[in-house]
Amino acid sequence: MAQWQEVQGLANAYLEQVHRLYADAALPMVVRQCLAAWIEDQNWRQAAEPLSSSAARMLFHSLLALLGEHLGSPGLGDEDFMLKHNLRKARRDLQATFQERPEEFANLVANLLQEERRILRQGQAGGQATPAPSPAAESNPQSNREQQIQQRLAEFRTALQEAERAFRHLEEQQDAFDFCYKVHYLPGEERTSDPEYTRQMQALQARLQVLDRQRREVLAQLQQLLGRSETLRDFLLQELEAWRERQQRACMGAPGDTRLRPLETWFTELGQGLFQLLQLLRVLGELRVQLTYERDPLKAETPLLERRLKEQLVFLLQRAFVVEQQPSMPNASKRPLVLRTGSKFSVRARLLVCLHDLNHHMEAKIHIDREPPKIKGFRRFNILTSNSKTLEAGDNHNAREGLICDFQYLTLKEQKDSRTGKGSKGAGEGPLAVTEELHLITFTLAYSYRGLELELETSTLPFVIISNNNQLSSAWASILWFNMLSSDPKEQHFFSSPPPAPWSRLSEVLSWQFESVAERGLSEEHLLMLAEKLFGSKPSPESTLAWNKFSKDGASGFSFWAWLDGILGLLQEHLKQLWKDGLILGFVSRKKEKKLLKGKRTGTFLIRFSESILGGVTCTWVEHPESGPPAFRAVVPYTAAELASLALPDIIRDYQLLVEENIPENPLRFLYPDTPRDEAFGPYYSQRQDGNLTEQKKYLNRRLIRVSSRQANESWQTEEDLVAATENLETLQLQPHGLGTPQPRGLGTPQVTSGNLGLPQPSSAGTVLVTAASPASMQPAGLGTLQPGPRGLEPPQLLQGGSGGSELLQPGIGELDPQVVLQLVTSGQGMLQVGPGDAGMLQLVPGDAGMLQVGPGDAGMLQPVPGDAGMLQVGSGGAGMLQVGPGDAGMLQPVPGDAGMLQVGSGGAGMLQVGPGDAGMLQPVPGDAGMLLGPEAQRMLLGLGDLDQKPGSPDVPEFLQLLTEQELSSGTLGTLEVAELMPNMPETTAGGLQGLDSELEGSTVLLDPHDPFLPQPEDTTVPIVKSLFTGAADLPPLHIDASDFQ
Amino acid sequence: MGQRSGREERSKRLELALNETMKAEAEVQKNKEEAEEPKEKDQRTTLVFGVADLKNGAVGLYNVGQTCCLNSLLQVFLMNIRFTGILRRITVPPHAVQKKRNVPYQMLLLLEKMQRGKQKAVSPTDLTCCLSVHGVKLFVQYDAAQLFLTLWNLIKKQMKKLELVEELRYLYTICVQEHLACQKCSFETKRYSSMITLPLPLLDSNSYMLKTLEDCLQYFFQPEELTDQNMCFCEQCGRKTPFLQSMKLVHLPQTLTIHLKRFCFEKSAYIHKLSHYLPFPQDLDFNAVLTENQCEADDIKKAGWQYELFAVVAHSGSTSCGHYCAYIRSLTECKWYCFNDSEVCQVSWDDVKCTYGHSSLHWGETAYLLIYMKKCPQ
Repeated sequence: MAQWQEVQGLANAYLEQVHRLYADAALPMVVRQCLAAWIEDQNWRQAAEPLSSSAARMLFHSLLALLGEHLGSPGLGDEDFMLKHNLRKARRDLQATFQERPEEFANLVANLLQEERRILRQGQAGGQATPAPSPAAESNPQSNREQQIQQRLAEFRTALQEAERAFRHLEEQQDAFDFCYKVHYLPGEERTSDPEYTRQMQALQARLQVLDRQRREVLAQLQQLLGRSETLRDFLLQELEAWRERQQRACMGAPGDTRLRPLETWFTELGQGLFQLLQLLRVLGELRVQLTYERDPLKAETPLLERRLKEQLVFLLQRAFVVEQQPSMPNASKRPLVLRTGSKFSVRARLLVCLHDLNHHMEAKIHIDREPPKIKGFRRFNILTSNSKTLEAGDNHNAREGLICDFQYLTLKEQKDSRTGKGSKGAGEGPLAVTEELHLITFTLAYSYRGLELELETSTLPFVIISNNNQLSSAWASILWFNMLSSDPKEQHFFSSPPPAPWSRLSEVLSWQFESVAERGLSEEHLLMLAEKLFGSKPSPESTLAWNKFSKDGASGFSFWAWLDGILGLLQEHLKQLWKDGLILGFVSRKKEKKLLKGKRTGTFLIRFSESILGGVTCTWVEHPESGPPAFRAVVPYTAAELASLALPDIIRDYQLLVEENIPENPLRFLYPDTPRDEAFGPYYSQRQDGNLTEQKKYLNRRLIRVSSRQANESWQTEEDLVAATENLETLQLQPHGLGTPQPRGLGTPQVTSGNLGLPQPSSAGTVLVTAASPASMQPAGLGTLQPGPRGLEPPQLLQGGSGGSELLQPGIGELDPQVVLQLVTSGQGMLQVGPGDAGMLQLVPGDAGMLQVGPGDAGMLQPVPGDAGMLQVGSGGAGMLQVGPGDAGMLQPVPGDAGMLQVGSGGAGMLQVGPGDAGMLQPVPGDAGMLLGPEAQRMLLGLGDLDQKPGSPDVPEFLQLLTEQELSSGTLGTLEVAELMPNMPETTAGGLQGLDSELEGSTVLLDPHDPFLPQPEDTTVPIVKSLFTGAADLPPLHIDASDFQ
Repeated sequence: MGQRSGREERSKRLELALNETMKAEAEVQKNKEEAEEPKEKDQRTTLVFGVADLKNGAVGLYNVGQTCCLNSLLQVFLMNIRFTGILRRITVPPHAVQKKRNVPYQMLLLLEKMQRGKQKAVSPTDLTCCLSVHGVKLFVQYDAAQLFLTLWNLIKKQMKKLELVEELRYLYTICVQEHLACQKCSFETKRYSSMITLPLPLLDSNSYMLKTLEDCLQYFFQPEELTDQNMCFCEQCGRKTPFLQSMKLVHLPQTLTIHLKRFCFEKSAYIHKLSHYLPFPQDLDFNAVLTENQCEADDIKKAGWQYELFAVVAHSGSTSCGHYCAYIRSLTECKWYCFNDSEVCQVSWDDVKCTYGHSSLHWGETAYLLIYMKKCPQ
């Protein structure tokens, strides 16, 4: 827009300045207005210079002539009579004042224009500042800086335009001089005596003088421009540095804006300006080629300017090549920088200076560990798929606009080094663990634009390469530690001597973990508890934590980080909403907990994380007995396994404490500090399915609740006693819902067989609690070692520890009523044997049982949930359904029976042996196959999704035959894809499946787990049956019907 | 280009202003007492001429033949109202020839020219002609620190009024006490020296880069042992012995010029420029930088050692070819300007900070001379 127009658009305060400017100026505003465009087009400044009076004179007379023209123009009607008069007067005045001194007039106009520009700048800057009130601008330095950058960019553009204009004038001047020179300068002829020639020579000399000055002025202008662009460049680089920090923090889960858009715009604009300047310098150089003279300033200064400019451009471009997206696997966006061999990952780099020649393609390449650190045993990797790509300019419609190289679907493969014999995982061979080995991907780009060619380079943040999902947690710990503490983003040696973390820094990073997982960080109180846990009773912000203490297993059997990560996992899976809404107090020490609850009403409870087991959450409540100090009670922590079957709010709602002489009561009444339970948790209760009449006709409604019992003679007055006290088990409560069925016997006084089972170490202690409807069943044969009974189990250590001492847990033949669900919870190793019985349902919860043997019985359903059972043997019986949850059962052996359905969840079952029987269906459910995706373990037993087996189909035995023929030795069942086997074929009996375990590697191409077209474990849509109870209605084998009770 | 008196033999050398060595402390005392009076006058003249200099906005100077160095220094002189206050009181030489040859007079003319015309820049042709008479040639690249000394001495020499010379000296002279102590016997020598610029090395004795301006100052005033080939002759011992050389700050002037020795030459004749990052503060408190025994002045005097940055003469380019520009904070408007010959523009402190230098950029602007002004006591 023309300057005068812009001036008129200014705010009043600035317009006032303009009026003042013209009030005592010799140039009346009416003239300025009348000839606005023409005035702005002339180079008054140059005309004002002492040696160019002719130019000034010409301009002056042109102005007068134009004014005259204007006066005579028919466009001015009568109404403009005054205007005409004013113009005429102005013309007369100007002529009178400046006729003899046109240079002065030129200088006057030049100064007026300059002053106008100054007011304009002020006004525009002020105008921008007004909408944002100044205190806000101060409180927000970010936007302040943005404004500065915008303003400087605008100034830079203007100055560049001015420099270009000055250059054009210089060009014209040089042409004019050139012409005069060619016409008048005639060397060789003796004309020195000719006064006319001498005069012309002098004029020529004067012209050259002017030209020289003009050249110097343009150079000064460029110097100034370059100087300002350096400040601008520093501003941009500071912003980029701030972005880098934000990105690094975001990698650790911190919230923050990591968009590159504004930076890209700024870098591009500055880059464009600098390239324009470079062009200007080049044409300036051409002027010198056309005409040069002694002490030509162009000769000395242009190369200097060009070098300075090029250095600046190169510097800018090098910084402008950034990794926009750090390497990450697609399904682990919250934990980037951890890559697994054989898994896809992506990484993207961007050139912020978005300038490229359309006909020239720039090639980007990636390299992994281009300069590998000299660490013994450092693993080397190859990037599969192509490592080079053309830098593409995404179009405007694409979200990925700009100059990017986007590498997707990359995978890593370890280089097998035969010399060191480091074939397999290689962990422990070098000084660094696998999860402490840091790798880098470097991007290189052959940049070329407008004749500037250079190689740009940028590197990702260091990442960790794992081969198995169970390394994920500790790999993430390494990433956190590095990004928190390393000052050099390329420091691959970091873990050779990892520095300790100051608590102030670490606490912030830990808080981010909670924030990113469950949208709520850690409070001051949480952090204080953690600090006390780490540093003792008097933590200070200066306390530091060593890497080993953070990540390496301590006395408790797991590291601080493993403990926290267990809680994070639990939150992610089951407690996200509760944590987000602040219902979980979470990190409270026992001491603090007592202090908090002491003054509260009986039944006030809080939810906190277990400190002794991985990923456990528990409730503690206070009771004020009639006499004596208040008592604090807590239940054994619930872990993901329990919460999978019943959500925490429901547990709290239905939790009952059984006292021998009392009716069951829920001791959890008020959530700390004093919110009534149902008010606090009401929104989270799951909907009960009562009232569905059609369903009721077929089944009884069931509800799983948690009950604890307290012995009459027991006195847990102190906290220590409480800790030693038992977790008490599951129960089943059947609500017949008025179907006319007999009252379930003994519900009023259900007996709990086991008492104190190993609470000091709940993680390893086996806890077996069998609740049954009839007290008679509570005396199962062979429970000698457990010594169940009202007294509770005396020696919890019997089942503890997993020392390998094979314990025998054997609920004997019981007359369990068919409606009873029998749930066995075990964690200790040894052997768990469930004798034949008529349990309606048998559910085995977690554990590391060496062997799990279910004797023949008529169990309606057998469901071992996760665990590491060495062997699972299901005896013959009329089990309605056998369902093995995810676990690492060494061997699963259903003995001949009449199982209606056998369902095996994921896990690394060593061996699956189905004995002769009449099992209706064998259905392995896909599970978290990632658990065992080690190079060896990663085998898919049956990728049968597409085989579509039908029961009874003749293909099945053939298939099994095929599998058997593979000469399979021992191995692990990696993933069991959906398969329906009909084991009642003659071929499959007698160990027909014995050879399922493994070495399937070469068996079929189709089953290659790396094949991207095969459904990956993560992608499988088949849902994991998490709980028997949720899906119970869909499982026909379990019939609990009124008729069964008779 | 490149100042030849830079690092030699890795020991500090003072750059003495010519004829500026005073032998006795008493003289300094006297000097100081005398100085009290001009100070009063100085303030008065500020009042008188301050109004005139209000117009002293930023006017450029045309480059008349590789004079960017001279132009920058002239701006530094002429933007300093304390200096112009002295300049305006000079006696005008009687004859035209003398007028032409008189540097202060020509500077005054230039100043008038800059303030009179409303032009964006003026041409310092007459002054450059005058200077070339005194050996400052055109079309020669100068080292700003050297040219500054030359100019200053020319101005001082050609001022006829003694009181003005005193004022000028008071305005610019730094006084230090050089202290040499023989390490073998107790022989000591003290010597008072005056300097116009404080030449600060940017590298320490192990050629490590010093981090900040404050570090450079501290290093400069740190005692140094002269051993081996640097040993001095001890009159008392009668032979060359190791000496401890130390320097104490006695007096700091109104206008303090600090010379950052960015041009450095190692053993060979090859000179290179140190372009690394060296930040300098806007406010400089010598009491916070120097320790008690690095100063030789009373507390009252030391309390006045509070400075704020007034100007930066920055150099871009290499040792063989380069360009000077000046960043000057207008004392009347309190705004920063950048002077690139005829181009003048208002800048901010951020632009000045750009002259800190950058280790990976060798052609950019780096501060070379820093001119600090004593803060007015509130």
